[in-house]
Amino acid sequence: MEITEIFNSFLSDFIDPKKRIFMGYLFLSLAIAYLWLVVIRKNSLRSAHFQIFNRKVFFSKSAQVDYKIFFINRAFSLFISPLLITQIAIATVIYYTLHRQNIFHSGQFSGINQALVITLFSMAMFAVDDFTKYFVHRWMHNWSLLWAFHKVHHSAETMTPITVYRVHPAEGILFGLRSAVSQGIVLSIFIFLFGNAVDLYTIVGVNILVFFFHMTGSNLRHSHINIRYWKWLEYIFISPAQHQLHHSIAEEHYDKNFGAALAVWDWLFGSLHLSESDQEITYGLTQDPTAPKSLSDMYFGPFGDTLNIVAKYLTRSKKNLFSSSTEKPFEARFWPRN
Amino acid sequence: MFKSMLKFSTIIGATILPLSAVHAGGHATTYGPFPVTLQNYSGDKGNSVSYSGQIARHVLHDSLKILAGRGDGGSNSATLKAEMLAYFLGSDKNKAILAPLTKDDFVIMQGTLNEISSDKNIEGKFYNGAMLAWPGSMKGREVAMHMIDRASVASKGFDGDNGYDWAQLISKFTMGAMAYSQAVDNYLDEKLEADTKPNNKPYKDGTAYTGKEHVWDEGFGYFGAAAHTLALTADQAFGIAKRKDMASADANGDGLVDLKSEMVFGPAYYAAAFDRSGSKSTSYLNTIMQSYVDGRMLISSANGAVLTDAQRSSLKAHAAVIESNWEKVLAEAVFKYAGSAYKDISKMQADGADVAKVYRGYVKHWGELKGFSMALQSGRNNLGETAGTMNDLILFGPVTLDNSYVTGITPSGDFKRDKRMTWNDYQLQLLQVQQLMVDKFSVSSRVNDQLADLGALAEKLGAQSNAETD
Repeated sequence: MEITEIFNSFLSDFIDPKKRIFMGYLFLSLAIAYLWLVVIRKNSLRSAHFQIFNRKVFFSKSAQVDYKIFFINRAFSLFISPLLITQIAIATVIYYTLHRQNIFHSGQFSGINQALVITLFSMAMFAVDDFTKYFVHRWMHNWSLLWAFHKVHHSAETMTPITVYRVHPAEGILFGLRSAVSQGIVLSIFIFLFGNAVDLYTIVGVNILVFFFHMTGSNLRHSHINIRYWKWLEYIFISPAQHQLHHSIAEEHYDKNFGAALAVWDWLFGSLHLSESDQEITYGLTQDPTAPKSLSDMYFGPFGDTLNIVAKYLTRSKKNLFSSSTEKPFEARFWPRN
Repeated sequence: MFKSMLKFSTIIGATILPLSAVHAGGHATTYGPFPVTLQNYSGDKGNSVSYSGQIARHVLHDSLKILAGRGDGGSNSATLKAEMLAYFLGSDKNKAILAPLTKDDFVIMQGTLNEISSDKNIEGKFYNGAMLAWPGSMKGREVAMHMIDRASVASKGFDGDNGYDWAQLISKFTMGAMAYSQAVDNYLDEKLEADTKPNNKPYKDGTAYTGKEHVWDEGFGYFGAAAHTLALTADQAFGIAKRKDMASADANGDGLVDLKSEMVFGPAYYAAAFDRSGSKSTSYLNTIMQSYVDGRMLISSANGAVLTDAQRSSLKAHAAVIESNWEKVLAEAVFKYAGSAYKDISKMQADGADVAKVYRGYVKHWGELKGFSMALQSGRNNLGETAGTMNDLILFGPVTLDNSYVTGITPSGDFKRDKRMTWNDYQLQLLQVQQLMVDKFSVSSRVNDQLADLGALAEKLGAQSNAETD
């Protein structure tokens, strides 16, 4: 691979509307931030300007680590992505399997209005994707083996739109698989039931709902601009302030607001926390002695943690084998924060 | 005087004819005419190309297909069967050409078989190995005879109860069991060996062509391509076979289509059909045709001498290209019609479907699927496990309207249908047939790809390897 190709691939996300840090979305997020600070919060334009381009945020040590991880992870993904299972492989297997049931037949609803099919498909794709994001995210917090990796993301002490890339490559793989599975399921079921009428409503090649999510400031989730929504709306969509609260070190905010775009999953499964007026949030894991501190901690630390967790488990199992311990079962210990 | 004039005309012919077939750069653009290279030839022929016997067999096949659809349900069975056998086994009478016939401005030169070649039949050139794809554990020729027998008692070649379309089954099977089998398993195989039909002797006493020249010509004849195919697009070749493109067919501009050199028959027609549809990424027709022309040029260049080992191995390399591409064309056809049958099943189950009409189309498509799958098993390659898998997936007969399907033949010769399968299960098997063609034959035109919609949508959604987390 040419050096220029690698360099281009580093910057490609800024010009790809499928990516959150697409320049257009960043620009809109900026506009929304100004509107919020000037129109809603009644700040002067100058004050808004200084708040948004806060040097302490964008040039903090934490942010600098984010930038480094952004580049390192891009290099990782260049080599790892081709090895991952694709949504088409999963969709094909499911599509075949769907022929083994006899409740529905292939093309059962192929006669219905195509606009309706496309609307349903676009919505289902968005909802299932968002739902699986909620659950995988929740597992990453609740299972110590996954938390070992996910805490890399939560170790950010300042947040910028680039913080979305501050993830361990293993988490990137897990999230990529989640995406492939959720897309594979929806794709195959829709094609099986609706035939070739299935399509996606897109704007600039992106699912219209994903586009709307990014248009409305998805980049502000990882920022210091704590935009809140009306209370009723925060039951439906996660506001930037709600996601910032998810990154809080305050104990009452632990394990809240796992949702990506929709808040309904948090609401349904009891993890919703509405934003607070004038919330002053400290981000990071400063109270956690195992929090990664250096760049090498970020990449290698999780493997050490994994070994420790497995070793502890094995020691515990050995003990249990020879004694009638009344300790909690192993599974219960996989919920480190409860 | 007369003899010397003949010799003179031979010299002129031998000089001019190759020029008409060969470009300035030394590449032939048409399959023939090619010069007479036979040493010590004293006849007056100036062209050594001859494959009219193969063209006659294509015409016998096309005519037999027409007859297979002419049954009236039993009352004309004896005469119809006798007529079909006259084309299959051959006849001492000069039979009429039943297809292809003149259509509108597409005027065909010949009207009877003897105008092409006399005393030809299909049966003598029909694959006669075991054909396990068909019930009854029969050999290739027995299967053909069985099909002819059943066609003669059917109504318009249609057996709705068992799901058979005899015209399609007979035609597609023959395209493999006669044309493909003869070309790849005979003329382009053992007859290329040094001790068979050598190039320094006439093919038979008195012929103007050498052993190897004629072997190669016969191999070409079975492909059924027009001699000027290299100058045609796949669309034009397709239009000729459909009798719609007189301008492209009439290479010599005499206002007539000479079946012996200007027509496109079955195997070449399907090669063109897949090149112009599906992914449009293939060039089966041109690749096969170029290999035939290049092979023939190589033989001509030996100038009537025994082919060296190097020349024969080069010839075999051309034969290998022909065989692998032809095999792919048959696999593309299996792929396509598995997709057609899949779609028909979905259509039959749709609300308000005209089930009888869709079922008729389904049986036709299944006949093509089955016929081509049998054609694929009539070649030189022993497909082994692939053949077994393909036969198990396609079944002996399609799943019919009461969900039963043919499982064998009773001692009295009737088909038995003592098993049932759901439509969904059979559709899954048809999908697996498509996958098998991709896995084993790397088909790439893929007409009626039932997984194409999945692939296209997945592409639209994009790779998600960098899916954002939160």
